[in-house]
Amino acid sequence: MNEEIDDSEFYHQDFTTASEWEVFMARIEEIISQWKIDKERSEKPLDTESIWSIKSERLNFADEHFYLYLYSKQIACSAITEINEEKEDNPQKNPIDSLHDFELYNENNNEVHSCLSIWYGLNEFIVLSPASNGGIINESKIKMLLSSIYVVEGNLVASENLNSIPIFIQIREKWQRLYLGVFANEVIRTNFEMVHLKKGLPYCNYLSGLLDLFKTKISSPCTIDQFIVSTQFTFTLSEFGGFVWKQDLLHQNYDIESLFILPFGVSVDPISALILKTTWNHLPDNLVVDSENYTDFDPMAAMKWSCLIKSTNDPVCLMGDAMTEFLQNLNNSFTIYDILGDFASLPSSENNPLDLLTEPNVPTLSRLLTRTARHSLTRNKRNNPPLSESVLVPLLYFLFPDADEKSNFPYGREEKEHVEPSEQILFKNFDEEFKGFKTCSPDSLVWRLSIILTHCLQSLGGLRAFAHIWYEFVQEMRYRWEKSMPIPGLSPGLPDLRTCLLNQKLQMLNCCIDRKLSRDNAQVSFDSAENSSTDDDDEFFDCSEKPTEEKHKEKLSLWNQPVGRLSKFGNLKLIKTGDPLYIPVTQDPVLKTEDQLEEDTDVLLQLGSDAEAMELRARIMSASLLSDMESFKAANPGSVIDDFIRWYSPRDWIEEEDKVDEWGQKVGQLSPRMLIEDNIWTEMWLSAKPVPAHRQKRLFDDTREAEKVLQFLDLRTISQICELIIPVLSHTAIYRLMEECQSLASDEIQFPAKISNLIRKGEVLTRETRPQPRRFEAIIQEAAALELLISEMNSLHYKLNPSRAINDEINDLVVKLVTGREVAVENRANSEIGSRIVSMFGEAQKMTNLSIGEQYEEGRNAINNVFPVPTAREFVLRANAVKPAVYSSKCPQFLRAVLSKDEFRLCGAWSEDTVFF
Amino acid sequence: MDEDILTTLKILIIGESGVGKSSLLLRFTEDNFDPEQTLTIGVDFKTKRLNIDGSRVKLAIWDTAGQERFRTLTPSYYRDAQGAILVFDVSSYATFSKLEMWLNELETYSTKNDIIKMIVGNKIDVDKREVSREEAMRFAKRHHTLYIEASAKTKDGVESAFEELVHKIIQTPNLWDSYEMNNIHIGNKGQPNQSTCAGYCSLV
Ligand SMILES: Nc1nc2c(ncn2[C@@H]2O[C@H](COP(=O)(O)OP(=O)(O)O)[C@@H](O)[C@H]2O)c(=O)[nH]1
Ligand SMILES: [Mg+2]
Repeated sequence: MNEEIDDSEFYHQDFTTASEWEVFMARIEEIISQWKIDKERSEKPLDTESIWSIKSERLNFADEHFYLYLYSKQIACSAITEINEEKEDNPQKNPIDSLHDFELYNENNNEVHSCLSIWYGLNEFIVLSPASNGGIINESKIKMLLSSIYVVEGNLVASENLNSIPIFIQIREKWQRLYLGVFANEVIRTNFEMVHLKKGLPYCNYLSGLLDLFKTKISSPCTIDQFIVSTQFTFTLSEFGGFVWKQDLLHQNYDIESLFILPFGVSVDPISALILKTTWNHLPDNLVVDSENYTDFDPMAAMKWSCLIKSTNDPVCLMGDAMTEFLQNLNNSFTIYDILGDFASLPSSENNPLDLLTEPNVPTLSRLLTRTARHSLTRNKRNNPPLSESVLVPLLYFLFPDADEKSNFPYGREEKEHVEPSEQILFKNFDEEFKGFKTCSPDSLVWRLSIILTHCLQSLGGLRAFAHIWYEFVQEMRYRWEKSMPIPGLSPGLPDLRTCLLNQKLQMLNCCIDRKLSRDNAQVSFDSAENSSTDDDDEFFDCSEKPTEEKHKEKLSLWNQPVGRLSKFGNLKLIKTGDPLYIPVTQDPVLKTEDQLEEDTDVLLQLGSDAEAMELRARIMSASLLSDMESFKAANPGSVIDDFIRWYSPRDWIEEEDKVDEWGQKVGQLSPRMLIEDNIWTEMWLSAKPVPAHRQKRLFDDTREAEKVLQFLDLRTISQICELIIPVLSHTAIYRLMEECQSLASDEIQFPAKISNLIRKGEVLTRETRPQPRRFEAIIQEAAALELLISEMNSLHYKLNPSRAINDEINDLVVKLVTGREVAVENRANSEIGSRIVSMFGEAQKMTNLSIGEQYEEGRNAINNVFPVPTAREFVLRANAVKPAVYSSKCPQFLRAVLSKDEFRLCGAWSEDTVFF
Repeated sequence: MDEDILTTLKILIIGESGVGKSSLLLRFTEDNFDPEQTLTIGVDFKTKRLNIDGSRVKLAIWDTAGQERFRTLTPSYYRDAQGAILVFDVSSYATFSKLEMWLNELETYSTKNDIIKMIVGNKIDVDKREVSREEAMRFAKRHHTLYIEASAKTKDGVESAFEELVHKIIQTPNLWDSYEMNNIHIGNKGQPNQSTCAGYCSLV
């Protein structure tokens, strides 16, 4: 690097550059020796993701920022590469003196500079790369850097305690991945050089030309006995013809029923190409010919086959996409009426399309009339309904299958049996897995509603369709309430606080319908029995069942006649009168959904916890106690509080031994706490009037509560509907994922672990008072990633194993391919997988030939009809050459040529004996 | 003051009427025993701040009436409780026999998956004991609950019972909304979580 520079400037200029340059080199050496020391000290690094352990350090030189990287392959994993183990024996062996040809690609091991390892087979190297994206373009800068690493490498060899590592600099624009490098030890020095062009040089296009180039470049003073050649041809299959995977393939007949499950899969084939690599290793150059007119490299006769896949870029995952729609509407504060406009304000009671469902399902005249009336009405409006009747009606029948006797989708069907052999099944008990979800049971009304709403939002017309379904749903709820028809698809009983709010609200409505029904029934019998009617039915509770013997007594209706008896309570007798003690008919319990309970609890909590507050709380809580006391008094004329307590809180009645009263029952007394003066119990007993339950003010007003539920449903904004549905949707989506990966057992992909991770997140989401968008988004992302993975696997199985017969080999291959790895095809075309690949290539070739016509150009000796022109060809040439002088020892020489449509790359490594130079 | 509160925990006290639920609560929150304690109507609650494992927690303890008739009302308040104390009276075998029923009730109505359960045998000051410690402990072991004996009257075991329960709840991060307070770390977080069935013990 001796430049001739003008004397006058020399001193000053040289001093600064030299010193800065020296500092730079010293810094590089310092970093490298530090790394060495660290390496000796530390055990294996714990980086498990990639086989590369990478260290980096930042440094500056001439106002330019650089990074110095140390790439080391982690020993445990290096078995994957084809490097011979003997290599370890001699540390001073030149790193390019290996049998490395072609590495099986592995996306997970792909690092910025790991290409150097792929090209040269290096397990450890250092790279100096500019920090900025601009790269090092300037020729003199490149020279300066190159001489730096020459000097550094020289110094490292001189300081004997260090084993040499090749050092590279990255030059030109970064995307070119162009490097220069050097390796040296006491006896040998290797220069690494590269050429990268967009278009290849014609004479270098075939092995013959490349061999000539190789020989010229080596320029050994002696003849070289042998060149070793390795070759790899790559074929790309991107036209799958009949093997294009579409999600619809799963359910052949696309019809309305596909709307009854969540959308799933990707919209296009997730596999965009299948790549086959055919390889020949270490052939003597005199045995193979590859020139413009002829080639010995017939892929069918290659020594090795391997394949990998190319995934489609960002395909739309249908389920993930649908979930995202909900996420995006979490800020939408429109009501469904804002969205539906005119349409929803139709006078609905008579022209309600749900009459179609809930009227008897024989096509009566009125039903047909309703249909036509509705048509004319909607036609008159400017807006058509978002969902046409042909779509809307089947959807509503799916939600309310009880409206159709012949429905194929009644609620409470037996879970479909999974037929796969048991050890293939990943998840045995879905219900157990989802135990912690605060949602609803699978395939219940709310479950189905979430699926239908999802389809509406995604593909049936977006928000307007979404609002339309909600509107019709609420109308149906109102209709059911008005007509006292139970709502299907809900577990019976009180609102279950372990389910989501929407499910609770619907259960509440069902309870109200239930009570209304039994009230109406009771009313009929009561009216006929008492032969009188009450004016204000709603004000009073009507007990449901009355033993017939009571009825004639009621007819007499004297003030002290017993009313509202349920049954005798054992053989206890009233203490004062000796009449049997009767359990009264009592009011049904008050029902609450969790939001109402929350309000109640808040009220109780706000009272504080002093004595006064306790007293107040007791009064609030005592409504049902008072009601029970009044019922008891009505059923047991002449009773005293002691009688009441014996029924109500038997542990507060203490019997005395061996003492019997005049009615033959044991004498007893109230517990001390009940005997306290003016306690709330005795006080209340005094104020209680004998009124049977059915004449008391209702503790639970089902009419009001039902109206509250209907209002709640009716007034939800889009975002509130989404909040109600998102927990359920998360449940259905994860459930769907589980079903989909049920048969895709694989240790490597660990579906169970991934699914349980999702389940945990889902659990938390469903338990939040309002689902957090951030958390939902995370679930969507994970779910969509799994959805894509499953689709890729399905697509590959479809291509490689159309019969879906159980085949561990193919399973294993598919798993490796979808995790971004290149896989060897054992027995090449003779294997099952190989022959599938051949037939797919063959089919694609036939299609191309057909479309081009018979006169397609026969490339060279037309390898054969199966494979197209290779998309890439790679040659590795090796020789041992005496260099630089006749008396020098043999040094390894290396050239790799990568030839493809849009790239021409030569990677050379040229070695010289340095002992006498 | 409120800033250093780790979390508010909801604890239930259930069991047959007259076993001393309200008395235990009064003893714990006000260190007092009122022989004239009125019979609870529906539900009631008291609060108390507690320092456990270096963290301050606020307890909202819900006392319930044990009568059959209230049983349709009270389960609504089981919602979101992290811990439950099931009380029986050691001098009444009948109250012990009913524990199974109370556990079922809890199973049905509690909304948290891994609610911590503790069985408390109360009134150990009474001479005529009908339930042996061994039998009660066997029962607790079988149902994976904590077990403690106490007397609201003499105050024996009361404080330990509540503290033990809270300690256990804090060790089960799923229970208190850890996901909503990511930055807070509890005292001995590093300690491995003992399995729930190892948690029974007897005091006094
Ligand atoms: N001897 C004794 N009596 C108690 C004890 N705890 C409660 N009691 C009494 O048992 C009765 C019922 O108590 P209470 O707390 O109201 O029971 P609860 O119905 O379960 O709330 C009261 O008379 C108390 O005085 C105790 O530890 N020892
Ligand atoms: Mg009480």
